[in-house]
Amino acid sequence: MSLSTPSARRQGLSDFIDRHFKLLTLAPALIVLVALTLYPIANLFVMAVSTIRFESGGEIWAFTPLINFKQLLNDQIFRIALWNTLLFAIASVAIEMVLGLGLAILVGSMTAFKGVMRTALIIPILMPPVAIGSMWKLMYSFDFGVLNQIVTGIGFAPVNWTGSPSLALWSVVIVDVWHWTPFVFLILFAAVEGLPKEVIEAARIDGASNRDLIFKIIIPLMMPAIVVALLFRTILAFKVFDEVFLLTSGGPGTSTEVVSLHLNKVFFQQNDLGYGAMLSLAIIAATIAFLWVARSASAALEKR
Amino acid sequence: MAWKSKLALAATTALIISACPASAQDSFADVGKQEPITILINASPWYNGFEKVVGLYEEQTGNKVNLEVTPFNGMLEKARSAVRSGTSPLDLINVNATNSTEFYQAGYIEPMKEIDPSFEVPKEVLGLDDAGCWDEAKKYRICSSGKLMGYTPNGNVQLFYYRKDVLDEKGLKVPVTFDDIIKNCAVLQNPPESYGYLQRGERGDSIQYDFMAYLLAYGAKPVADPANGDYTVTINSPEAKAALDKFIEVAKKCSPQNYGTLGQGELIQLLQTGKGMQAHAVVAAFPNFDNPQKSAVVGKINAAPLPRATPEGKPGVAIGSWVFMIPKNASDAGKKGAVAFSKWFLTYKAQYEYALGGGIPVRTDVFTSDLKDKPEFRWMPAYLDEIEYGVQVYGYVEAPAVSEAVGLRLNQALVGEMTPAVALNTLAEDMKAIFEKGGRKTGTLPPLAD
Repeated sequence: MSLSTPSARRQGLSDFIDRHFKLLTLAPALIVLVALTLYPIANLFVMAVSTIRFESGGEIWAFTPLINFKQLLNDQIFRIALWNTLLFAIASVAIEMVLGLGLAILVGSMTAFKGVMRTALIIPILMPPVAIGSMWKLMYSFDFGVLNQIVTGIGFAPVNWTGSPSLALWSVVIVDVWHWTPFVFLILFAAVEGLPKEVIEAARIDGASNRDLIFKIIIPLMMPAIVVALLFRTILAFKVFDEVFLLTSGGPGTSTEVVSLHLNKVFFQQNDLGYGAMLSLAIIAATIAFLWVARSASAALEKR
Repeated sequence: MAWKSKLALAATTALIISACPASAQDSFADVGKQEPITILINASPWYNGFEKVVGLYEEQTGNKVNLEVTPFNGMLEKARSAVRSGTSPLDLINVNATNSTEFYQAGYIEPMKEIDPSFEVPKEVLGLDDAGCWDEAKKYRICSSGKLMGYTPNGNVQLFYYRKDVLDEKGLKVPVTFDDIIKNCAVLQNPPESYGYLQRGERGDSIQYDFMAYLLAYGAKPVADPANGDYTVTINSPEAKAALDKFIEVAKKCSPQNYGTLGQGELIQLLQTGKGMQAHAVVAAFPNFDNPQKSAVVGKINAAPLPRATPEGKPGVAIGSWVFMIPKNASDAGKKGAVAFSKWFLTYKAQYEYALGGGIPVRTDVFTSDLKDKPEFRWMPAYLDEIEYGVQVYGYVEAPAVSEAVGLRLNQALVGEMTPAVALNTLAEDMKAIFEKGGRKTGTLPPLAD
């Protein structure tokens, strides 16, 4: 009865606005964000179940839900690429985490030149990927590279860094570690700087050794930052493209074929947009699955 | 055969023209005042020659040309973006012949005669195995039944290069066959100081293209008869296996240890630094060897036709050309300007200047001109000797996918991931799947025994 009067309706509207003010002010931005995120993903799904041809000056889409999926199941190169990507991500991220953490603790414990060290260590992430690829390609060059000049200079046979199928992936891992360890260092260094000094001092007074201090105090306290760094690096490692493209282009053979490179070849070189979209979805699914497994394993370890 | 007849006709015409004082050789074409045009061009070794000839065009005609200079890897996407947009910002696009079929098939290219019915490619211009034609019904590159979609500005093929001074000093003959190469390299191979033979083994386009010198020389071909619709895959024939075995043998006996990743840049560096004694590489690489700022072997490298499988056989000459074409969605003034430039560019004088600037001309009468006697053009006789055998290996719309598969499987065989027989059998299945997807009549030969 009271709601039917104009003043009561105004009061009701005012109450509604008060209760949902945050949501209403955020709504325009949310709508734009959702549209910009969801539309490309929805489009990717539609492409993945289509065959797209370019004819008569336009695009012709045909709904062929199983063709691309069957191709994915029979794509041996994709399976090899997935395995290589997994190996690459695990090896490079593991090394980067260990090195980044070690450097962060080391630089954090320095009393002088801390700023200089921090600046020097982050130089690799400031460099453009193309410059990094070109620089390392030259360094790895079998006949003209500085690495083989050093190796032969000390009396060993030259190393076929990027030309040996058993070594090529590890050569790319080395470049990735050089490129991305500073990123891990930067995140973890900020965490080290934020550690509560009194806790560490109390542990020292209680007689904790350096080893105890690192493994039982510092690392557990840094765990949130470590998880963030691990998450970021794992996602980025799964998407690796530029380093492989510039150094080996997936070769020799399939020894450095990774999923992004395979996707690039299908999408851009072969112009097979439908299957390219299907591959994109498969890569997204594989990344999510890997992160889920890693998170479950991490949670299980924490419980123990 | 049609190709040979055309070449003979072109050569005869060239002779007649050279004997005629008031011929077309004496002048550039008068193309009148045109609107400015934009050309998509690749930053390849022959770019300098093209830039110079474009400068000359602007100077002579007063017509403005903007050059959209792009690295090789970016060319395809830039061309695709232009032809798929509303109005193309590019009026003349240069597309790798392997990818050109995609543009023809998609209907993005305006046939030359539909822009200007009077447009003719001069008879002296090399057709390069119908690179610029497209038969829409057959979905195949062929001039006899198709339309003229463009023309090639660069008849790139591979030549055999050798260190004349070293071969003379060691009393070695210029090889005629691949077995001769192996004999020579037994003397020349002394790593890491010198390598007996360089060929690209890098996965992808590099090995795909360099292997064609063997495949074609051994009488093999990837597909049975695509011009007539028979897409039976023949890449796993015994002849192809013999070619691949020889390619691998040469790589292992005569190349650097990184033969499975040797690309064009490193191959040229090895020749320039004097480490490479024999090689096969694109003709466009030649100016690098005589550039005193880059090379330690100026004047020491000579060119000859590619080796053969047997002394009586033919060299395997795969044409790696580009095609200039005009997007259907270019402006009318742009299309007209692009045709005008094309008419001018294909004249004898323009092609002569193009060659002088470092380009690879496409007119036979330029190859038979006084240039061939100049030391810096000493590759020209070898080029003319082998161009009659030139073949466009891929003339169909599936070319990029097929080429990609070839580049992968050959590299897998070279680095030992697969035996040659398994690699070729796998490649045959890959190609069959690609053709099936394209709705072609296809099949494979019986698998090779491993």
